[in-house]
Amino acid sequence: MTLKQRILYLSAQSTDPRSPTISQAIHEPIKDSIVEIDPTITDIDYKSVHEAVIDGWKIVHFPDQRGSLSDTEIEVLGFQFILEKIEEFNA
Amino acid sequence: MPKDNELTLLSDDEIVNFITKGYHIIEPFLPKKFHTEIYKKLESLPTNPGDRIYKVVPDLQKIYSNNAVIRVLTSLLGNKYSEASHKHCHKNHPGTRSQMWHQDSLNIPALLDGNNRFPDHIKSVLVMYYPQDVESNMGPTALIPGSHLFKSAPDRNASHGNFRDQVIATLKAGSLLVLHFDIWHAGTANTSNKIRYMIKYLFERKHESKKPSWNHNSSENQRILERLEKDEAAAIQRSLIPKRNYLRMKMWNNIAGDAALKYEYHDKWAGAWPKPNNILL
Repeated sequence: MTLKQRILYLSAQSTDPRSPTISQAIHEPIKDSIVEIDPTITDIDYKSVHEAVIDGWKIVHFPDQRGSLSDTEIEVLGFQFILEKIEEFNA
Repeated sequence: MPKDNELTLLSDDEIVNFITKGYHIIEPFLPKKFHTEIYKKLESLPTNPGDRIYKVVPDLQKIYSNNAVIRVLTSLLGNKYSEASHKHCHKNHPGTRSQMWHQDSLNIPALLDGNNRFPDHIKSVLVMYYPQDVESNMGPTALIPGSHLFKSAPDRNASHGNFRDQVIATLKAGSLLVLHFDIWHAGTANTSNKIRYMIKYLFERKHESKKPSWNHNSSENQRILERLEKDEAAAIQRSLIPKRNYLRMKMWNNIAGDAALKYEYHDKWAGAWPKPNNILL
């Protein structure tokens, strides 16, 4: 068994980690694992970033308060937090 | 094209639904056998005919020229609209992976306006036809309601994955999905053992409307205005809501001609006091 990093992208409605999440993607440290839109899910796992923290995820990136695209017409929906969990996986 | 009075045009509420969400579903209007025959024809094609799909599957014309489609296109694009040369048959094999969220490319020379997004207008729509039932594991089209109002860069949105309010278009054979050209969408993974076909046509507005091209009732204007201001599509950050509402109103006014809505101040706060917060009791 080896310790490996699981990565969780959560976009929230504001920079507040207790604000509602709007999107989610989990990257598992497994070769050939796939992250994509899943048409069979009924909801995403965490209703807020805080809920994910309670579940053991650690925030490793906080969204930029200024909005990195504020000088363009391009919109990114939500404010993205990146979280990690270090867990044991088969090598 | 039939005259207006031969069509049951969309209602004000259906137009508001399209403006706020960016899509409209046309339920099947031809027998299932008809769609099964189209599916068989598609299965027999040795190569992708590209824009010529309408020539090799001529029965498609019976769908796109049906009044059930014309009434929606007339309502959204005005009394004069055109069918773009560009068409595409998507063949989604078992094992196909999901696409990224994207807005369709603007690099289509056949498009009348090939240079800009139109988040404040309905200049063109995508009409997606599904000749077979689409279950959730067959690579249904996914879309984010309301996203047509915002310009996206797919690479900057690539880390989103699943949106809480995404819509998965599981549909019956013969259904059509009418989309604002700028909506963020994606074909999803096909984990079934069936091929999922989707045929996409583009239709474009030819003229600016001088009056509503749908079944408009001006006595409902105040309620329509409130819907444009308040209806939720998908959760977004609060700072985008004024922009969203501005674009919704402008879209209505751009397609309504002389029936443009006028925003007038009205007191939204008079009435019952807020209820006490139970936490503090």
